[in-house]
Amino acid sequence: MTNLHSRRNFLNLVGSAGGSAAVYQMALALGLTPGRALGSPQLVRPLSGASRSVVLLGGGLSSLMSAYELERAGYQCTILEASHRIGGRNLTLRAGDLIDEVGNPRRCRFDDDPALYFNAGAARIPAHHHYLMHYCKELGVALEAFTNVDYNAWLQEDERFGGRPIRFRHFMADAKGFIAELSAKAIDANEFDAALSPEDVERILGFLKRYGDLDVNAIYRGSPRAGFKHPGALAPTPGMIDEGEFVERLDFSEILKSSFWHERLHFHEELDYSAPMMQPVDGMDKIVDGFARHIKSPILTHAQVKSIRLQESGVSVVYQHQGEHLQIQADFCMNCIPKHLLAGIDNNFPNEYRTALAAIHRGGPFKIGIQMGKRFWEDENIYGGISWSSQHIEQIWYPTHNIHGNKGVVLGAYSWGDNADFFTRLNPEQRFEAALHQGQKIHPNYRKYAESFVSIPWYRMNHHLGCTARWTEEASKRYFSYLQAPLAGRHFLMGDQLSHHAGWQEGAFSSAHHALVELQKLVAADLGSTT
Amino acid sequence: MAGMAATAGIASALMLTVTTASAHDYSIIPDQFVVCTTCHGVELKGNKSVDAPRLNGMEAWYVKMQLQAFKSGWRGTHPQDLTGMEMQPQAAVLSDKSIDAAAEFVSHVLPRTETLGHSIVGDSSRGERLYATCAACHGANGQGNEALKAPRLAGQNDWYLLRQLEKYRSGVRGHVPADTWGQQMRAVIKVLDSAADSTAAMADVVTYINTFSSNSS
Ligand SMILES: Cc1cc2nc3c(=O)[nH]c(=O)nc-3n(C[C@H](O)[C@H](O)[C@H](O)COP(=O)(O)OP(=O)(O)OC[C@H]3O[C@@H](n4cnc5c(N)ncnc54)[C@H](O)[C@@H]3O)c2cc1C
Repeated sequence: MTNLHSRRNFLNLVGSAGGSAAVYQMALALGLTPGRALGSPQLVRPLSGASRSVVLLGGGLSSLMSAYELERAGYQCTILEASHRIGGRNLTLRAGDLIDEVGNPRRCRFDDDPALYFNAGAARIPAHHHYLMHYCKELGVALEAFTNVDYNAWLQEDERFGGRPIRFRHFMADAKGFIAELSAKAIDANEFDAALSPEDVERILGFLKRYGDLDVNAIYRGSPRAGFKHPGALAPTPGMIDEGEFVERLDFSEILKSSFWHERLHFHEELDYSAPMMQPVDGMDKIVDGFARHIKSPILTHAQVKSIRLQESGVSVVYQHQGEHLQIQADFCMNCIPKHLLAGIDNNFPNEYRTALAAIHRGGPFKIGIQMGKRFWEDENIYGGISWSSQHIEQIWYPTHNIHGNKGVVLGAYSWGDNADFFTRLNPEQRFEAALHQGQKIHPNYRKYAESFVSIPWYRMNHHLGCTARWTEEASKRYFSYLQAPLAGRHFLMGDQLSHHAGWQEGAFSSAHHALVELQKLVAADLGSTT
Repeated sequence: MAGMAATAGIASALMLTVTTASAHDYSIIPDQFVVCTTCHGVELKGNKSVDAPRLNGMEAWYVKMQLQAFKSGWRGTHPQDLTGMEMQPQAAVLSDKSIDAAAEFVSHVLPRTETLGHSIVGDSSRGERLYATCAACHGANGQGNEALKAPRLAGQNDWYLLRQLEKYRSGVRGHVPADTWGQQMRAVIKVLDSAADSTAAMADVVTYINTFSSNSS
């Protein structure tokens, strides 16, 4: 009770500072509104008889979330999407789907099987992305665990260990073992224990022994953590009825020189990549479907926006749809069209706004999905996760779902920067060939099982021409809050491009929520002044 | 046209209204060419953010010639031609008939009268002197000359012109022997390249071209 009391007091304070809209938002955040208790927080305050209209440009997740929340609060909404589909970078490809690459339009030739899908954009969800978790729950989108790390997957680096693949667990155990042994020696040498009591030194040694699986003398002599030598299929699993023979220890100087040492080893401890992670059952676009099922407002595809004009009393948007030009008038415009494409759309934005838009750069990751006729990786004890390579492909992902099924779609490359450019500049068949050629260094029989592929260079995808807005520190300082603020009280730019988390759906949702809060402030002020 | 005034009491609210827009404002883009506007922008006005030049007002014959140059790999295949490489696959998939249709389509999107923003600032008077060589083919006002296969320069984005000059200079464009006109331009660029400060010289020429009226024909 005291807790509740203090929260209410807090709300009063908020109210005196920020007005009723702020109180409402804060109450939602604190779980004090009845809506929240029902598991359905209403982010937007109901209009209660008033009328307001919003046109949403681009059918990305930020627009879908906004439309969903706005229409529940009584706003009139329309979503305009240029592409043949909504969902933007939440893209799942299945048999027959169009891969709308500028210059290389193709159809997905996977078998017609619901398990054979490829998440070509967003693919994994960290559990702490709470908008995303919330909407999956609210929209009835079933989730399943997503294995982001598989200790049986491979690391392969052309210049290290003779280019041969090393099990992730092997590398991990040996790397930690050597580091622990080194540290233990340093302690023994009394070099940094001056400030520590003998008990503390013992404790640290104890930790190091466990950390690196050292022997009683704090020496690393190999560890079952690295895996045993494998006698072959259907022989007793090593270590079960015999002692098991350790795999050979890796050369520590090779480990030190390896790029994994610096980059990948701790990848799965990063905030957005650590367990637990999730994926929607049957494909990431089930989230898009979930919104589409619940949104009643019109959602137009093949509706390319050509002009955005801010006016005294609203916004006027012109778009081409079914062979004609239509103009839509609304009170507000919420816009998730990629900022670099906005520059190609007629508008009456002030110069500073245009300059700000031009200051954000674009990235362009590349993905290839390969349908494999056999789940050969399962024979290697791999059931998900990522193999890392120093080649252009960078990564191979194995599907977490449909374990022991017939076939599976493997991610054969997920590349960034120069590696992505390498693939982007090839034609689709050449990309496939390069991915197979490189993948073979990890799985010698890779090519044999490859049946068909989809390649997605985000830099060249129609209506996107990029993913992951790149903000320089300077641009961020100068323009982030400026672009976040409503333009002329009418236009709200959003999308993950306007978050500090570009390349994540949560960034798109967060920016949408920010825009919705700002929009409500304007509406509240307006309604307040007319009543 | 404007949204209907909304329900009682709330003066500023607009009902969501959709009307047929004035047909004069924009060109209806045939489905197969919508993709051109993703990069080149509405009314093919160009979009520097994605390195795509203005196409409206471009001569049909030149559009055709360049699409063919891309298709045959004269343009957009040099390993350093990163922006050309983005265009090349678009042209590579076009049939000769589609190239004709594309040229026809582009030439029907009217040049817009809105003034182009200028992004390059150089010495216009030196540019004028240097331009004398260019004028022989491209015309005194950058109006172009089909007989000499020299396109209009007036009204083109200055950043694009500069980039093309740089490409000719470095041999990224005009490097295929069969590309007669490209090779010719590559030879002519030596005039600018011989200046000690050739980068500045190119910027000066482009600055001078910026003074031409984009409507000159
Ligand atoms: C390779 C890749 C991997 C990713 N991995 C993850 C991940 O694992 N987890 C995760 O959470 N997120 C991931 N993301 C990010 C996630 O997909 C995005 O953050 C999110 O989908 C962006 O939503 P948005 O609202 O910003 O709009 P977008 O998806 O950017 O949508 C913009 C929309 O505008 C439309 N449009 C463009 N021009 C016009 C026009 N003229 N008129 C009308 N409409 C137009 C486009 O067609 C598009 O639908 C990944 C993205 C990519 C590309």
